[in-house]
Amino acid sequence: MTGTVGLGSEFVLDSDETRDEPTPAAAVAGRTPATVAGSTPGRGRRYRGRGAEPEPEAAGATVIDVRIDPGDPLLVFLQTAPGPLEVGALPAYSPAVRRMKEQGVAIVVPLVTSGEVVGLLALGARRSERGYSRDDRRLLDNLARYAAPALRLGQLMRQQAKQARERERIEQELQVAQLIQQQFLPSQLPELGGWHVAACYRPARTVGGDFYDLIELADGRVMVVAGDVTDKGVPAALVMASTHALLRSTALSVTAPGEVLRLVNDLLVPQIPLHMFVTCLVLVIDPATGRTQFANAGHNLPYLRGRAGVTQLAARGMPLGLMPGSRYDEHETVIEPGDLVLLYSDGITEQHDASGEMFGFGRTEALVAASANGDDLVDRCMAGLAEFAGEVEQEDDITLVALHRGMGEARHDTFTVASVAGNEREVMDRVAVLVAPDLPADRLEALKTAVSETAMNAIEHGNRGRSDLPVEVAVRRTAEAITVEVSDFGRGLQREADVPDLDLKLAGLQTARGWGLFLVERLVDRVEDAIDGDRHIVRLTMHTAPAADDQPDEPGPPTEGKRP
Amino acid sequence: MTATMTVTRLAPGVLAIAIAGDLTAASEQELMAAHEHATDDGAQLVVLDFTGLEYMNSGGIGMLVTLLVRSQRRQQRLVAVGLSDHYRQIFELTRLDEAIGLHTDTAAALASLP
Repeated sequence: MTGTVGLGSEFVLDSDETRDEPTPAAAVAGRTPATVAGSTPGRGRRYRGRGAEPEPEAAGATVIDVRIDPGDPLLVFLQTAPGPLEVGALPAYSPAVRRMKEQGVAIVVPLVTSGEVVGLLALGARRSERGYSRDDRRLLDNLARYAAPALRLGQLMRQQAKQARERERIEQELQVAQLIQQQFLPSQLPELGGWHVAACYRPARTVGGDFYDLIELADGRVMVVAGDVTDKGVPAALVMASTHALLRSTALSVTAPGEVLRLVNDLLVPQIPLHMFVTCLVLVIDPATGRTQFANAGHNLPYLRGRAGVTQLAARGMPLGLMPGSRYDEHETVIEPGDLVLLYSDGITEQHDASGEMFGFGRTEALVAASANGDDLVDRCMAGLAEFAGEVEQEDDITLVALHRGMGEARHDTFTVASVAGNEREVMDRVAVLVAPDLPADRLEALKTAVSETAMNAIEHGNRGRSDLPVEVAVRRTAEAITVEVSDFGRGLQREADVPDLDLKLAGLQTARGWGLFLVERLVDRVEDAIDGDRHIVRLTMHTAPAADDQPDEPGPPTEGKRP
Repeated sequence: MTATMTVTRLAPGVLAIAIAGDLTAASEQELMAAHEHATDDGAQLVVLDFTGLEYMNSGGIGMLVTLLVRSQRRQQRLVAVGLSDHYRQIFELTRLDEAIGLHTDTAAALASLP
């Protein structure tokens, strides 16, 4: 790609498009072979820019094409060589010089800039059959002086463009990897009788080494798994994927937590890279009775908040992947109605603040003690951690799984409506009839509007108003919360590009509409969406009582309205 | 079901639009026609009376924004009366309450006039 052309007494700069290697001067001398391209009279194909003179087939210049090997001593010689040089003055032991002589090169002009050889002008014998004059040499010298920086700039730009393409490709691959990894995590948390499950997964980088899963067992119990692979990023994500697959397949045949860990450890030891291991906690819960067996491979001990306060579910064992034959003790406890359990990775407890202090177990435990329910606990943990860390960036993957056993059983109702504009009103009224006894008036009204807006989105956008496509509505009621799931056949929430803003709308910078999702997110306690097969599901959660410090208007901006 | 709009003259330059029923995008023409009517009657202040409102969705909110743009262009003031607690909350969330003065009833709105 270092292209320079010499041709009789006329010379043309020619960058060699066929070789894509963006060659910085350093690479010319170091890694990639440099090319000297030129022409001598004979064949005129690569010939360009000969001024007013028409393409002279008759002139028939030949192309000088000499690649200079990175190790060629000529490069070192040229770095300090002045101006145009007779080929005879060049080191004869250089293979490139030998090739140039074979191709009739008479004179060369090194293109040197910033101390680096970026190319070479190589010229054949002068056409007049006289030697190159002093004027010719001065002209060539001037040309080289201007051409060298321009050539170097071109090389650098091409190099940067290639690096940018490479970065973009890696970035795209990571995005795909992230999507694949998200498929491993439960897209929707299972409904366990009167239990409430809340989870948060936030890798430190695009992909992470943490994982969690809820596996519904054939006998109605649920296996809850939380794990953490050493380190983070792509290596951890690869080990996470294989560990997760081993756990899933082992759970098909074995449901005792200690045994699951023992088997997965023995499968993992031969394949896990040196110096990597996986901490993992397995709980098997009977939702009907709260009876729970658990075993632990070096993971953080979960917190249990019961009537007696906050305790830890103590179980210890070697992390997975370290030692063949490790055994894991199995423990048992009962999670009573109203109890709250938190599984968490060390991304939360070991996060530092600006002064170097760690978030630690004490703060985590205090949050468990203070939270109203699982959603509230997850929200408080993430908010508390963000406030604690301040400007310090997230150091490790963070996973939180909160299990809250409700005070009673869950009641379920489902119905469908056709995707006809206006039917959102029917959805709202039917949901209102079901949940009215469970919610205080203000929460009921807020949920009603949120349900109506969500149903309208499903009808108009998800199902594109096709009356043959039903919108399905599922209502789940427990003592603690109402969840309303609205599913359609669309691909996802129609998020507005911008948060709707009244000032922008009044100034004509946003359309007057676009308030739907904005209102839904502010009116209910939680909005989640998931894809399940060909369905898109939006789940609205409204707790039967507000969390202790809930601001009614939160999180909107402070309102300074003119109140009567 | 859509909304019915009733335009009433309360005082010189003060007109009320009583909105009853469901305020959704389906009632856009009625609302804009009512506003034209009020404007033709020389309204300087338009009182939106929501006492009979049963339901309003985001489409209805969008229309109120459009209405607000039109009245600002005509240098009219817009106030709202009779909103339920829930719709008052929605006015606050959308910050419509900063641009449309909220009053409990028409008498209070008129009393606040400068």
